[in-house]
Amino acid sequence: MAWCVMPLEHFLLLLLLALPTIAAVVVALLGPNRGALIRWFSLAASLATLAIALFFAIRVVQTERQYDEQGIRTAANAPTFQPLFVPGSPGIRAGTDQPDPFGTSWNLVELGPGAIQFYIGLDGLNIWLVVLTAVLMLPSVLVSWTHISERVHEFYAWLLALQTTMMGIFLAFDIILFYVFFELSLVPLFFLIGIWGGPQRRYAARKFFIYTFLGSMITLLGIIGLVLQCYYHSGQAGEPGILTFSIPRLVELVHTRLITSPAAKEIQFWVFMALMVGFAVKVPLVPFHTWLPLAHVEAPTAGSVDLAGVLLKVGAYGFLRLCIPLAPDVSLALGLPLVTTLAAIGIVYGALCAYSQDDVKKLIAYSSVSHLGMCMLGLFTLNVVGISGGIMYMINHGLSTAALFLLIGMIYERYHTRNLSDYSGMAAKMPVFASFLVFISMASAGLPGLNGFVGELLVLAGIFQHRFATNGSFLLPIVAASGILLGAWYLLTMLRRLLFGPIKEPDLEVGGHGLTGDMNFREISLIAPIAALCLLLGVYPQPVLRTMEPDVLTVANIAERARDRAGVQREEQPVSQLDTTFLGKQKE
Amino acid sequence: MADYLWLIPCLPLLASIVIAFAGPRWLRGQSHWPCLLAVAAACFLSMLVAGEIISQEQGDATLKTYYSWVQSGKLDVGMTLRADALSAIMLVTVTFVGTLIAIYSAGYMHGDPGYPRFFACVALFIFCMTGLVMADNFVLLYAGWEGVGVCSYLLIGFWFQRPSAAAAARKAFLVNRIGDFGFMLGILLLWSQFGFRLDYQSVFDRADTLAGTSTLTAICLLLFCGAVGKSAQFPLHVWLADAMEGPSPVSALIHAATMVTAGVYMVARCMPLYQLAPDALLAVAGIGAFTAMLAALIALTQTDLKRVLAYSTMSQLGYMFLALGSAAHPTITYAAVLAAIFHLFTHAFFKALLFLAAGSVMHAMGDVIDMRRFSGLRRLLPTTHWTFLMGALALSGFPLWSGFWSKDEILGVALEASKKGVFPTYYMIFFMAGVITAALTAFYTFRAYFLTFWGEERIPPEAGEHAHESPPIMTVPLVILAVLAAGIGLVAQPLTGWFGDLLAKTPGLHEHPHHANIIVMLGSSLFAIAGIALAYWMYVKEPKTADELADSVPGLYDASRNKFYLDEAYYNGIVRPAHATSVVCRIFDLYILDGLIDLLAHGARWLGQLFRPIQNGLVQFYALAMVLGLGVFLISLVWALGG
Repeated sequence: MAWCVMPLEHFLLLLLLALPTIAAVVVALLGPNRGALIRWFSLAASLATLAIALFFAIRVVQTERQYDEQGIRTAANAPTFQPLFVPGSPGIRAGTDQPDPFGTSWNLVELGPGAIQFYIGLDGLNIWLVVLTAVLMLPSVLVSWTHISERVHEFYAWLLALQTTMMGIFLAFDIILFYVFFELSLVPLFFLIGIWGGPQRRYAARKFFIYTFLGSMITLLGIIGLVLQCYYHSGQAGEPGILTFSIPRLVELVHTRLITSPAAKEIQFWVFMALMVGFAVKVPLVPFHTWLPLAHVEAPTAGSVDLAGVLLKVGAYGFLRLCIPLAPDVSLALGLPLVTTLAAIGIVYGALCAYSQDDVKKLIAYSSVSHLGMCMLGLFTLNVVGISGGIMYMINHGLSTAALFLLIGMIYERYHTRNLSDYSGMAAKMPVFASFLVFISMASAGLPGLNGFVGELLVLAGIFQHRFATNGSFLLPIVAASGILLGAWYLLTMLRRLLFGPIKEPDLEVGGHGLTGDMNFREISLIAPIAALCLLLGVYPQPVLRTMEPDVLTVANIAERARDRAGVQREEQPVSQLDTTFLGKQKE
Repeated sequence: MADYLWLIPCLPLLASIVIAFAGPRWLRGQSHWPCLLAVAAACFLSMLVAGEIISQEQGDATLKTYYSWVQSGKLDVGMTLRADALSAIMLVTVTFVGTLIAIYSAGYMHGDPGYPRFFACVALFIFCMTGLVMADNFVLLYAGWEGVGVCSYLLIGFWFQRPSAAAAARKAFLVNRIGDFGFMLGILLLWSQFGFRLDYQSVFDRADTLAGTSTLTAICLLLFCGAVGKSAQFPLHVWLADAMEGPSPVSALIHAATMVTAGVYMVARCMPLYQLAPDALLAVAGIGAFTAMLAALIALTQTDLKRVLAYSTMSQLGYMFLALGSAAHPTITYAAVLAAIFHLFTHAFFKALLFLAAGSVMHAMGDVIDMRRFSGLRRLLPTTHWTFLMGALALSGFPLWSGFWSKDEILGVALEASKKGVFPTYYMIFFMAGVITAALTAFYTFRAYFLTFWGEERIPPEAGEHAHESPPIMTVPLVILAVLAAGIGLVAQPLTGWFGDLLAKTPGLHEHPHHANIIVMLGSSLFAIAGIALAYWMYVKEPKTADELADSVPGLYDASRNKFYLDEAYYNGIVRPAHATSVVCRIFDLYILDGLIDLLAHGARWLGQLFRPIQNGLVQFYALAMVLGLGVFLISLVWALGG
């Protein structure tokens, strides 16, 4: 039963946000001189967070999400999200004592008939991203163990604060709360890049901050506009309209009330464009990506890990959670051609840029541009396979790219250079390192049996299903599939230049840092779990796919209805049938 | 059978994991044991599978679904293994040759610092290859397909400190990926066209719905792209010769006997689709025949013994595709598949044998493989010599040797297609190409044989004290393979016909009586013997004629030696432009695109600078501005009200 959850879970969900925050404060108070204590404390805090996240993952996998008496997802009602484990539930509509299935009772700011609420929860779309955030925190802490020696307390405090904000983005079901976390996440990363980064760190940090901030300001405009439009246009038969900030409620309103209003298309257009600007910068979609390589190159390893692993997913997640459900008709009519075109360009362009880089971090940064293009392509096929693929792609890219950054961080810590031309034949010097790098590169290049392939397959299948339904051209599938080829091209070239050939080590004198030789125990233990996850997700992705399915269906249903309105061929079964087949599947 | 099916791929996988983790530290010189035991056990189980299928009255596919691998929306990929006659033949071939090569490798790789790594990769390869042939749906097939590609990558680059090996490994993987790009498109197009199904049975059942359409032709050609890459057919053949940078047992196992035949297996497996797309079959046959001839022409002048064998592998794979491509007419389909798969089967033995024998030569010669630097080794390496001779006879199609039976079936099928098919002229040309290639094959094989084992005894200095016959651990597999290369033709059609009986049990493949074409047999034997005789005359009797001939046609000779300059053409036509585009993109991104963004940011700054003088901190100036502003406001107010 979705709404009858134990208070323990409410508490734990809060703890998911509170634990890193408290830890950040404690670490900051410990002062700069207790390095060892700070490191172990941060490690313990991230382990505890991970444990909670895994607990929720298991709970969500186990939860048979039924369609209870409130019947949110039964065919007659509007499809919308249905978060689990919401602290403060059952919700109460602001200003009344009526129950509210789309909210919580914890109001942050009351605004007349509505309220901004502390509305957090889990569903199939965010649970795995929350787990990903928690999983990647561990290596971020461990990889900075010896690398960061100045202002240790500040570093770990910012790192933990970054974790809170990233968790918050994914957990938030209140649109303002989402935005607050979305913006707050810039601050810790700004300091992480600006203080502990490379030689151009200040320029990079400033550029990263201003660029993404400018984008999200426009997103804020879109959010406010949407909320107000809902308020003005949702009144029926003389009643006053509904002022709400709850994302599920907004989605529902858009579908029940707003779609029929004459101005619907125009409103949707501006909402979509405004939301898109911020998210497109964040993803990043070509041509809004130029902040990314710079930020990656200058960021310390832990910053790159969180940036590539989690923060890039925020943009794609925003498209999925807000853009598509809140502006379905425009997403279909305009978003689909526009975003898929940009994404397809990004796949090829990012790969081409990646190939000729000498700096490995830049290479991986551009590969992210290419990979995220693939991810966006999946989301904007607007069918079940493609959207599932897009989400899988987010998770997979998070794991493999984070692992690549970690590995490059390790070799950088030894030789203080990331230029491929300084290295050759390192496989003979560091066989364990080489094995991991080959393994992760293969995962990233989409080798079947490792995680990357599952996402790639689903995305490509989604594109083919879309093409089949619309009888469209083969250009998009071909460009998307060329990612298979291009990914292997730059990754294998990197491997050959870095690992193979006669041994050539960079001059150790330049750096003269403590670490030498192959990976040590700490380094192996931080990368091995990620490698294991890559394998697990590649061989048995079904638990992840199954848990996200109900919510992916929600988004796909929204798109199907938009197709109906636009008079376009549907891509799945009729909406009601979709729901019943899903119900049937759960009962088996 | 269904109970132990999973063990066939999983035992080698387990061995691979054990070696990878325990090898470098504990197993070391004993690392071959897990691999050997697992592959031998898999071989035993494969034979059990084959035995059970033989004993079945009606050939059935045994299917076993373990779990749902990827299931979302309309995509459903099951982890399903399949055993039928075709799979069983492939399984037995792969695991049997694999076992012998694992034994041989224990001797060949002895003392190499990467000893555990080698066996871990070989075991992993057997896992992927058995998975490939046992897959029951296209995505699982693709998974095995990519898996063997990675193992091949790792093993070609086994001696990764050599720049040539590192480059060859990357090249092999990338060229294969070009093919796989098409393969993946083909699989997904097929998925979307055949009711969103991926398992063989459902797809083949629906094949009729698209019979003769261009969509089906497109699907077949896209799938064939994958085969072109994996089986090194023109135009994606360029990786195979470079792949000889890997250790010789790898060349024998992966680049001769098993992995490269995956394309042939795939096309044979998809015959229900290809059969309905005669245009696609014509392309298959055409590319096969063209590659067979092209590779044979290149092999004529190569001086590297292993490269001669590599080109001959390409050529023989071309033969197999020629056979498959001749299957358009329903009465020939069975014979065509039989010919291709039987040639695949015999080729696995005799080509593995030739590579292992070449490896034995390399072993004795201190890793020198250039035929110009040694000769007359037949007394020094007696076992190697005899076994190589057996393999060479089989490859040449010498009467009664195994290759003779299988090659003749292919030529017979091609001839048949030229009589019955839709494109008689084309198939006649392909048949002629096949016959000429048969003569060329005999010639270049024996050229290599005579150059290596006949003439005066010469040994390069690198050989040192190694210049002696290999130890029994290497020669025993050679002898076993030599016996098979000579005698495995026994299971062929005119003799016992066991092979055909087994293959006919493959579901969807309907046996159709056919008989060996005596005229083709006699003719091709004649060509083979002529080729051998010519080689004997040119390289043993009158050793100068070869050079004189080469000098007399310098253009042709150089073209053949330089592989018709295809590598250079690809380098200048594809690799360099791609690289240049990449550099252009990098510079464009760094300076132009990012520059534009920075320009926008500077725009804000300039705008600020424009108005900065106003904030000059002088109170008088502010007072003046206020008064002026008030004045403007009042005037406009009056104006507005008055108007």
